Amino acid sequence: MTTTKALPWYFAPMIVLLSGCCVAMVNYGVRASFGLFTLPISEAHQWPREIYSFGIAVQNLMWGVATPVAGMLADRYGAARVLMAGAVIYSIGILSMALTSNPLMFHFGGGVLVGIGIALSSFNIVMAALGRIVPPEKRSWAFGIATASGSLGQFIFAPLAGAMLGAYDWQITLYVLAGLSLLIIIFAAPLMVQNTSSSAAAKDETKLSMWAAIGQAFAYKSYWLLTLGFFVCGFQVMFITVHLPPYLAEFGISKELAAIAIGLIGLFNAFGSYMAGVIGGRGVKRIPLSLIYLLRSLAIAAFILLPITPLTTLIFTATMGALWLSTVPLTMGLITVMFGTRYMATLYGFVFLSHQIGSFFGIWLGGRLFDQLGSYDLLWWVCIGLGVFAALIHLPIRESRAPSFAAA
Amino acid sequence: MAWPGHRFAIALLASVLLLWLAAMFIIMRQAALQADATGVMLVVFEPGTEEDKAFAAITRANAKPIRKTAFGFIWVVEGNAGMLQAEGALGSYRDLPISPEIAGCVAVVDAKVVTAFGL
Repeated sequence: MTTTKALPWYFAPMIVLLSGCCVAMVNYGVRASFGLFTLPISEAHQWPREIYSFGIAVQNLMWGVATPVAGMLADRYGAARVLMAGAVIYSIGILSMALTSNPLMFHFGGGVLVGIGIALSSFNIVMAALGRIVPPEKRSWAFGIATASGSLGQFIFAPLAGAMLGAYDWQITLYVLAGLSLLIIIFAAPLMVQNTSSSAAAKDETKLSMWAAIGQAFAYKSYWLLTLGFFVCGFQVMFITVHLPPYLAEFGISKELAAIAIGLIGLFNAFGSYMAGVIGGRGVKRIPLSLIYLLRSLAIAAFILLPITPLTTLIFTATMGALWLSTVPLTMGLITVMFGTRYMATLYGFVFLSHQIGSFFGIWLGGRLFDQLGSYDLLWWVCIGLGVFAALIHLPIRESRAPSFAAA
Repeated sequence: MAWPGHRFAIALLASVLLLWLAAMFIIMRQAALQADATGVMLVVFEPGTEEDKAFAAITRANAKPIRKTAFGFIWVVEGNAGMLQAEGALGSYRDLPISPEIAGCVAVVDAKVVTAFGL
């Protein structure tokens, strides 16, 4: 920001940053606790598990589809407004999960509304706001801390929601989560300091219209490579999230240890994301990004080739945790390098859609191939191959402003 | 404008963890069971209690061990809270759908605070 006018205290850099981190924490944390409601909600309504699972699947799909739209809205009307609207939709969706016993309404509320709410109030939008507010030399660090906050939210909200489920009941827990998601409205207020709806394009930003910018981005090879790479990220991350616990069970690893192992992913994820932001701020971003995918492949190969023991499981999940969302600050950083900050939420939205499509295939193929082959081995090797592929395709990315996005 | 750095990140992490611990303690207090409670519960003994000593106390209390945890002093059992406490348990809590290790560690602190302040 270049203004010399004295700003109110709530627009101070630390407050703005803290607000962004809190939004990311609540958004991601609340979402991460939905898995805990599978049993209580299914049992309360005497539903087969499929009804709840389908609702959550719809939610993930809507999250992916709505993200580019959320990005467009944020780039057009300002991130704070979109975050606030998202918080309201998120909260209504969660409330409807608590109040309805009709499967169709549950799919609409818990699936469609919550999915849209997550997309509109997600840390992608926060990062887009921070990208415009924070000076370029601090930008990558800010992306790192916002992503790490989301990871931290995941780590702290899941046990909190679990404890509340035991201490109270599932409906009260959902009411509390709905209330907490409304806090995003307050947290987003300081991000009003960045308001794209009333401002002209900054002098070093593109003058292209939004649709022209989208078209130009998709005509740029490096953007495609980044988008393809993020598909791999989603594929690997969701395959491991969903299929690691049953895979561990095959090797006699207890459910308790599997839960701790998944928890370790969350913990190390926060540190990994933060460090990726720090590293991305020091120079090129495509090399660390490429290394992350390569290290994921090496970690997976070592894990499946060595005997599966509690120790190797914990080492594997800690390693994967450190490499989990560490792709996000670097990917977002590359988008700002190539296209500037004016349409970053929109352009990151499309990249994220690719991530969600990868997530879908990671989950679905894991189950389908296991049913056909009776083993996850082939999918693990697919993950390794995709990781190497992603590592390679990031290398030719041109880490400079795309020609059509150069300032006029 | 001065932008914060690593200190901000550390302070944020510390604040969030403190807030989280406070919330966990409040929830664990709500999950604490009265002496007459029966059923499946999380039971905590003095930290450092050996696994077989805790197991012996559980069986003396006519409780059925359901799950042991990574810590020998934290167990999930089916029994009577009062009888378990009579056999040396610090406290009994509802079995929460979270890692019993995490719940147990918070429960130990909760039980100690309750004992110390006679709550």
